[in-house]
Amino acid sequence: MLLNRTTSGSRWRTRPDGPGKVTGGLSYLTDLSLPGMLHGLVLRSPHPHAAIVSIDASKAMALPGVLAVLTYADVPGLNRFGIARPDQPVFCEDRVRYIGDAVAAVAAETPEIAVLALRAIEVAYEPLPVVDDPERALLPDSPLVHPEGNVLHRNDYRTADVAPGFAAAAHIVEETYVTPRQMHTYMETEGGLFVPEADGRLAVYSATQHGFMDRMQLARILGRPEADIRVVSSPIGGSFGGKDELNVQPYGALLALATGKPVKVHHSRWESVRAGLKRHPMKIRMKTGVDANGRLLAHEVEIVADKGPYATLGAEVLNFAVEHVIGPYRYDAVDVKSVNVYTNNGMSGEFRGFGGNQAIFALEGQMDRLADKLGMDPWAFRRLNLRKTDDAGPLGQPIAVTAGASQVWEALAESELWRSGTGRGSAGSGPGIGATGGKSAGHDGSGEEGIGLAAARVEAKTASDRGQATAGTPAPPWIRRGVGASFVMHGAGLGVGIPDPAGGRLRLAADGKIDAVFGYEEFGQGLIASLEQMLIEQFGFAAEDVRIVIGDTDVVPDSGSSTASRSTSMMWQSLRRLRGPFAGKLIAAASAALAMPADRLRVGAGGIRDADGGELLLPYAALAAATAKAPVIAETRFEFPRSPVDRVGAHFLYTYSAVAVAVEVNLLTGRVRVADQYHTVAAGPVVNPQGFLGQIEGGSGMALGFSLTEDAVMSGGHYLTENLDTYLIPTVAELGGTFEVEPIETLPEGDEYGPRGIGEVGSVGLAPAIASAVYRAVGKRVNRLPIDPALLQETDGWY
Amino acid sequence: MIDRTEARRASGDALACEINGDAVTVRVPPSKRLLSVLRDDLGLTGTKRSCEIGRCGACMVLADGKPVNACLTMAYQCEGKRITTIEGLSKGGLHPVQQAFLEEGGYQCGYCTPGMIISVTALLREQPSPTADQIEEALSGNLCRCTGYGGILRSVQRAIDLTKEAQP
Repeated sequence: MLLNRTTSGSRWRTRPDGPGKVTGGLSYLTDLSLPGMLHGLVLRSPHPHAAIVSIDASKAMALPGVLAVLTYADVPGLNRFGIARPDQPVFCEDRVRYIGDAVAAVAAETPEIAVLALRAIEVAYEPLPVVDDPERALLPDSPLVHPEGNVLHRNDYRTADVAPGFAAAAHIVEETYVTPRQMHTYMETEGGLFVPEADGRLAVYSATQHGFMDRMQLARILGRPEADIRVVSSPIGGSFGGKDELNVQPYGALLALATGKPVKVHHSRWESVRAGLKRHPMKIRMKTGVDANGRLLAHEVEIVADKGPYATLGAEVLNFAVEHVIGPYRYDAVDVKSVNVYTNNGMSGEFRGFGGNQAIFALEGQMDRLADKLGMDPWAFRRLNLRKTDDAGPLGQPIAVTAGASQVWEALAESELWRSGTGRGSAGSGPGIGATGGKSAGHDGSGEEGIGLAAARVEAKTASDRGQATAGTPAPPWIRRGVGASFVMHGAGLGVGIPDPAGGRLRLAADGKIDAVFGYEEFGQGLIASLEQMLIEQFGFAAEDVRIVIGDTDVVPDSGSSTASRSTSMMWQSLRRLRGPFAGKLIAAASAALAMPADRLRVGAGGIRDADGGELLLPYAALAAATAKAPVIAETRFEFPRSPVDRVGAHFLYTYSAVAVAVEVNLLTGRVRVADQYHTVAAGPVVNPQGFLGQIEGGSGMALGFSLTEDAVMSGGHYLTENLDTYLIPTVAELGGTFEVEPIETLPEGDEYGPRGIGEVGSVGLAPAIASAVYRAVGKRVNRLPIDPALLQETDGWY
Repeated sequence: MIDRTEARRASGDALACEINGDAVTVRVPPSKRLLSVLRDDLGLTGTKRSCEIGRCGACMVLADGKPVNACLTMAYQCEGKRITTIEGLSKGGLHPVQQAFLEEGGYQCGYCTPGMIISVTALLREQPSPTADQIEEALSGNLCRCTGYGGILRSVQRAIDLTKEAQP
């Protein structure tokens, strides 16, 4: 059943944070201010690679209104940060390695004075050779980004020798795929307020995806106990992985402590671009062989990723890519080699999809090309090699068993959109294509006449129709329509070898509210809405009974990070563990207060109710008063379920998705317009219909940008795209087509893990599906994103 | 002949205008951006700062009923104008456009939402039954990174219906 407001019925709820968001009343952390606060700014390197000869802050310090100018000499603790490996300088000492590197920071009474102070800091640099190409960076004569070499991380995975498979193969496809430096482009840039408290503690109001991780890193930098730091980290104006690592926090914290005053820092868009993380650009070479029946014999992969200068989670992203270039298919032999390479380009790091986007674009491209060589339908070819329900995971690891792979395969095969593109559906014959001289691109694909061009003769819709049906309107002959599809198997959780804690707390507060206390963050995904919905549906509470408490290290337990499509499933598992104990304690306390047997009572809306009649017997406020001396509280701590192997990064829970997309290629402009989309997602029960739909639609929007327009272009280590006038995220004009989401909610009987993550999967499948659709529209293969219109332009012969 | 009316008006370094129905005088340099006046001088932080070059629409407000980017509007240009921010829309309870976004879930992180709602409000005042092209045109200056615009377009549709229902 398609997911929308109508089919969701009463489960479609207004988000608890909605009123504040639509009225502008909700304060983001960058909206905060305090009387007498100072304004902080960071001086960043103008060079992608240079030695620092000297830093002279005396003129800046002498400016009236400047209260602090800080450099590396002012960092009391570790002058480094990085979640996995702290190798990024808070302030560079003797060398800068990218144009986001911080050299100094100032705090001043006004933003204008802060700008003047930055300009007055005198830094002498000696430029060094710029390492801007990860492949060249691997050559023995390359300049070094770090003394220990230019390799952050290698990860190889091999099941058997691939040579015999290639020798026996009937067809081999060898292709190199290149993906862009995509920017998260959260609308709220990094920032926050940093407040020295009267008791000597430091309060940090700044976005992150894991408050306790920030607290640990800040304690390390500031050289003070974690308990002396409070991190308040929600609500957040978008993150997508980009605010997972520290950004402004070290500077705000150091400036606040140095001056003893509140300091506000809020990145301009350009500073966000230059300093912030991006999706790793990857070059993925694949060689894949099949026998004459279409069975996959050998799969060889080499991944080269552009890390930029420092680690953050670059090793983990690469590990994820290794797992996902193998994906949901069975091969006789697999051989993957990968390397993440330091360069003087911008910082790459964690970003929704986490290496899966690049990997799956390449893998699905191989599947399409192989099917073509075999003369097979590409979807049927995938089925031939698709994992079986009980198969091990991509790295041979045991995984939670579901039928997700075959479920989404079948759902897509039956979808109207996919069928419309295979000649079995509504494909009609539009006039004009053959007669106007638009040349059909001659390519190696032998199946294109049968599939591609037949699909192209659909009555295409014009751009102004917004994808709504316009039966009978013939498309102009230079518009070619094609329908493509892709398959996604995406891991959730941090994987083997990385601490992955989960948990939460329920408490009947003194005022009678049920506090649901979790260490997760709300960056827009709808986490608090999902938590509220689960509390209502699983416990029977009313929305007014519940108070969600998140995003404050002083009051929440460490529930682990809000990353890796993990938090909703971890909240679900937490509530499952807490349901018995918490409801039991409430009822026991009520039983004592009411002098009634516990089996006559149940938890319900507004308070404890009669188990049979349902009448309200004891409101929660009264129960809270009755339990004031021994408050009712239940807490759980556990680990994200993991596979019992020692392969670092291997996942245990997966979400499966299949995506079909119709595109229209304009041969005159070479532009691709995404018309209609169908996403089926097998991720267990839908916790929050509005949130689920939003995650798939929104993720797909990011994938559309990744496919068609987005690239933070660099040249010689400098960004050429500095703001949103040249870095082009999709607008409403690019995303107006029909959009169907079909969740598959069934899980095997006895499954203990409940809803799987859906925060990332929507951002993955559209890119390979678009590439597939473009091929079926015009017969041209795309191996590089974003798609260059020049590749698809065919302007000859129209006049 | 150079018209110095605006410059003379602004020479006192004070901006006098109407903001959300209230007469406001605020001492700011004439070239100060409206975005900063609203957020930093008046504490109206519903108007968001994002690209600051007029591309993203997060800072959209109404000036005499027309949508403008507050990041590209200087204080002197607001002299005598009626400025409506997101906070002003709901003075008499939720505006139908706000109600529509709430019902349809036309937001996620919410950071683009005030600007988006301002643009939709301006559109529906001008054109109560907009075509798809008019909606696209009206929202082309508002970027949203979270929703993929699906929820926003459904909210616009719902806002059209709610606005019509609200008419006598």
